[in-house]
Amino acid sequence: MSDEKPPLSLDELDARLRKAKAEQHQHEPDGPRGGASMSGFGMAFRIGTELVAALLVGVGFGLVLDGWLDTAPWFLVVFFFLGAGAGILNVYRAANRMGTAPRLIGDQTPDGDGKGPAEKG
Amino acid sequence: MANPLAQFEIKPIAEIQIGDFDASFTNSSAFMVLTVAAVTLFLVLSMRRRAIVPGRWQSMAELSYEFVANMVRDNVGNEGRRYFPFIFSLFMFILFGNLIGLIPYAFTFTSHIIVTFAMAIVVFLGVTVIGFLRHGVHFLGFFVPKGVHPVMWILLIPIEVLSYLSRPVSLSIRLFANMMAGHTMLKVFAGFIIPLGILGGWAPLAMAVALSGFEFLVAFLQAYVFTVLACLYLNDAVHLH
Amino acid sequence: MRTLSRGSLIGLTLAVTAAGPALAAGLPQLDPNTFSPQLVWLAIAFVALYLIMAKVALPKVGEVLDERQRRIEDSLERATELEAEARAVAEAYEASLAEARSRAQDAIKAVRDAAAGEAAQRQADLGEKLAADVQAAESRIAGQRDEAFAGLRDMAVEVAREAAAKLVGQEADAAAAGRAVDAVLEERG
Repeated sequence: MSDEKPPLSLDELDARLRKAKAEQHQHEPDGPRGGASMSGFGMAFRIGTELVAALLVGVGFGLVLDGWLDTAPWFLVVFFFLGAGAGILNVYRAANRMGTAPRLIGDQTPDGDGKGPAEKG
Repeated sequence: MANPLAQFEIKPIAEIQIGDFDASFTNSSAFMVLTVAAVTLFLVLSMRRRAIVPGRWQSMAELSYEFVANMVRDNVGNEGRRYFPFIFSLFMFILFGNLIGLIPYAFTFTSHIIVTFAMAIVVFLGVTVIGFLRHGVHFLGFFVPKGVHPVMWILLIPIEVLSYLSRPVSLSIRLFANMMAGHTMLKVFAGFIIPLGILGGWAPLAMAVALSGFEFLVAFLQAYVFTVLACLYLNDAVHLH
Repeated sequence: MRTLSRGSLIGLTLAVTAAGPALAAGLPQLDPNTFSPQLVWLAIAFVALYLIMAKVALPKVGEVLDERQRRIEDSLERATELEAEARAVAEAYEASLAEARSRAQDAIKAVRDAAAGEAAQRQADLGEKLAADVQAAESRIAGQRDEAFAGLRDMAVEVAREAAAKLVGQEADAAAAGRAVDAVLEERG
């Protein structure tokens, strides 16, 4: 008379099924996960242009306003500094999204947009 | 040695004049059309068999789809679904434009600031319109820093506005500068190969080959960065903080 | 190092771009005459790409991916069901095996009991028959013995009469001879 337990492979199958299901459900759609997973390369290139772009926009604004209102060079000077501030803000936010920015006083969540430290500009 | 910037010249293939407006079909236009054709062929041909177990080409097509779909989902969430076709087109257009431009003697339309700026401004305006459509005037609150004394607003709101306005500029300059710099460097090194002859030509050749490999990476990376930032901006407009 | 030289080149490009019209002659990208054809064809190409992607290519890919996802989920579900089924079957098999075992034991016991009963019955029957046979044989033997005894008396009477005739010369009375014989038989038992 045979007296064996249920075949072992059933338990194995069970384990494998469980695993496969877990893998399936990893891809379930959900909300945004916050920080973009960007490679270091991309971020390095990004940060440089963020600063320059804001500066360019600031200078452009200054030049246009001066041209209109005949106030040269005052708007250029003002907007140069505002542009620099915006550039630093851009860089800070870009770094913040990478999760590598230093924690500044009164800063909110790590993936927040870091509006607080704007006064630095 | 040929001028390394000559490769960026726009050469008309067929002159088309609408009134005073110049709409000529140029080498740039040709490569844009070629890029569209390549992307279309890539997706349509590789998905032709609709296999459940995909072949190599179908895997690549599915990979590109899922790559962008994940990018949209991770950065925008489920509300981003509607914009997925646009983001996908943007990514593939830039990626294929960059890659096709790496072929010797090919033209890279992404190395022109006007093209990258146009794409960036479309993203910028689109995102702004979406922001206002979804949140109305509240979208302006985006420019008002939180947790700061209102006196500081005089200084901070212009900075926030400038920062916002700098988005299309940084977006377009980054792509344009990367593509232009890479191609100029390649051209410079390639230009040294023939004058230096067999004895000295191998050094710039090796450099050009190594650079080409690097440029492949940059071509992909810049397409990715452009698209991911478009997603992040979209996220700002959809989920107003 | 490559990255460094690249960075400086990007910087140079930016500087040249920012420097504006003075250097525009050297940079084909800054020639405003080329702007309008590029923008027109960019719009045409991109709109075409968008329409093809949104209407044709992406739905196709999405369909295939959904189909695969559905199939994987179906297969997983089916596998789970089959596994449960297999488990149930294994359990039922175990149960029926145990039941069959106990039933077989019952049957064997019943058969054994029946066989034992039958054997006892048969033995009893045999004993009875044998006893009957023995009795029959005994009674037959007794009958024959009686018969034999009866014949013996007649013969003894005859012998006694003949012996008397020879010895005495005179026929003995049969009845008397019979009495004498009986007396002797009585005596001898």
